Amino acid sequence: MKENRIRILYIDDEIHNLNAFRASFRRSYEIYTASSAQEGKLLLKSIDVHIIIADQKMPVSTGVDFFYEIKDQLPDPIRILMTGYTDVEDIIEAINKGHIFSYVKKPWDEYELHNTINNAFEMYQARKQLKEKISELEKTNDELNRFIYSTSHDLRSPLMSVLGIINLTRLDNSVKDPNGYVDMIESCVLKLDGFIQKIIEYYRNSRLDVEYEKIQFDSLLQECIAAFKPQNTAIEFLLNIDQPVDFKGDTFRISVILNNLISNAVKYQKPDEANPKVNLTVKVEPHKASIWIEDNGIGILSEHLNNIFKMFFRSKNNNKPGSGIGLYIVKEALNKIGGTISVESKYGEGTQFEITIPNRNDFDS
Amino acid sequence: MISIPDLRVILIDDNEIDLLLHERLISLQQISRTVLSFSNANKALEFLSSNITLHRIPPTIILLDIQMPEMDGFEFLQAFDNYPHKIKSQCHIIMVSSSLDHGDINRTNANPLVIKLLRKPLLAKDLKETVGEIFKDF
Repeated sequence: MKENRIRILYIDDEIHNLNAFRASFRRSYEIYTASSAQEGKLLLKSIDVHIIIADQKMPVSTGVDFFYEIKDQLPDPIRILMTGYTDVEDIIEAINKGHIFSYVKKPWDEYELHNTINNAFEMYQARKQLKEKISELEKTNDELNRFIYSTSHDLRSPLMSVLGIINLTRLDNSVKDPNGYVDMIESCVLKLDGFIQKIIEYYRNSRLDVEYEKIQFDSLLQECIAAFKPQNTAIEFLLNIDQPVDFKGDTFRISVILNNLISNAVKYQKPDEANPKVNLTVKVEPHKASIWIEDNGIGILSEHLNNIFKMFFRSKNNNKPGSGIGLYIVKEALNKIGGTISVESKYGEGTQFEITIPNRNDFDS
Repeated sequence: MISIPDLRVILIDDNEIDLLLHERLISLQQISRTVLSFSNANKALEFLSSNITLHRIPPTIILLDIQMPEMDGFEFLQAFDNYPHKIKSQCHIIMVSSSLDHGDINRTNANPLVIKLLRKPLLAKDLKETVGEIFKDF
């Protein structure tokens, strides 16, 4: 068995056909022949061929039956059916049942059959390469999953130790720090940690399977507010939830979306605003939930509105630069669950995001 | 602060700095006078099994890290689950981890041996509250 030659098995109950085939093609390919399906199967146990050519009309087992029988054990070789009769039923059956690549009429034209064989081999190689690419991709995916896990631990773990040390210096008052350097270290560490958490969020969104559970928007939003309230206690949150029907959705992604949008509404307030406000309105319907997140903060420049959902885009004109990843994650998460987002903003007056998320409650029942 | 005179705390964490931090935190907060630190979960298991000869096992808080080489927090819990009731009933396990991995968090919450999962950095307030809850009936 030479490695780089095309290996062909030809099965036909007429011995002189086998001999003629061998005579015509043995210079170009490595030929194996069998005079029955039974004998062919036996041969395939010991030889790995690229292409199988079978005669349709054979006693005991037809060519199509033979292809059908070996379909599961030997999916890789490309099949060619050969016959003296052109019966449409045979052709249909061959394609549907025998997964054949081509149908060749007897007596064969040598040039044509050469072409068919070469095309079949190209197909064999293309499939093989595709399989290799798939397994490569699976490996890469697997590595990415492990990357998230190690990011979430190996990168965060020392940062959390730093925060622990900072907390301890405050508890035992062992560090004299009139210039507030420790506070600066803390704010840098928190910023870095925030960025790591965003990266983890992004990867989890792109890899995790979507899972639908019942969601109570009231408690979900209360949790969000409780988390962000301490960042700016002056902000008045107005919650208006209309949820007359059950809602089912992906809890992880919906909370990622809400957390990012509320975090922005809290973060980008005007420093001199007397009544900073964040209005949260939810309307649940049988087929969708609409959520409005509205603030009277610094607003977004109109020329930037088209770019805010792009990765690492940061609108200037604010002195609180973000990572540029939050709204991108929001958009990606919405894509995963079939939701939409739109934004209206007036620079200097405020911003309103409107999102709609399909209600999966009906889809299930 | 917490008035269990013979309360002891066992720390299991491969990170030496976190061990030190938690030791200091416990003594500063006067949670316990006895703190035993193990950077290897196996060593902690060995120590706990040697306790079987004691006439009475003192009430024990175990602060257990999740990710550790050799034996991780979950493997520790699995092994510890087979320990005699005499030891198990006196030990209260609090997991302490910086993990944000939902697999880890769900596994921790689902484990009946674990009382609570606390995030790193461990805050004095959280630790005190959790210990207070564990011994509220004493």
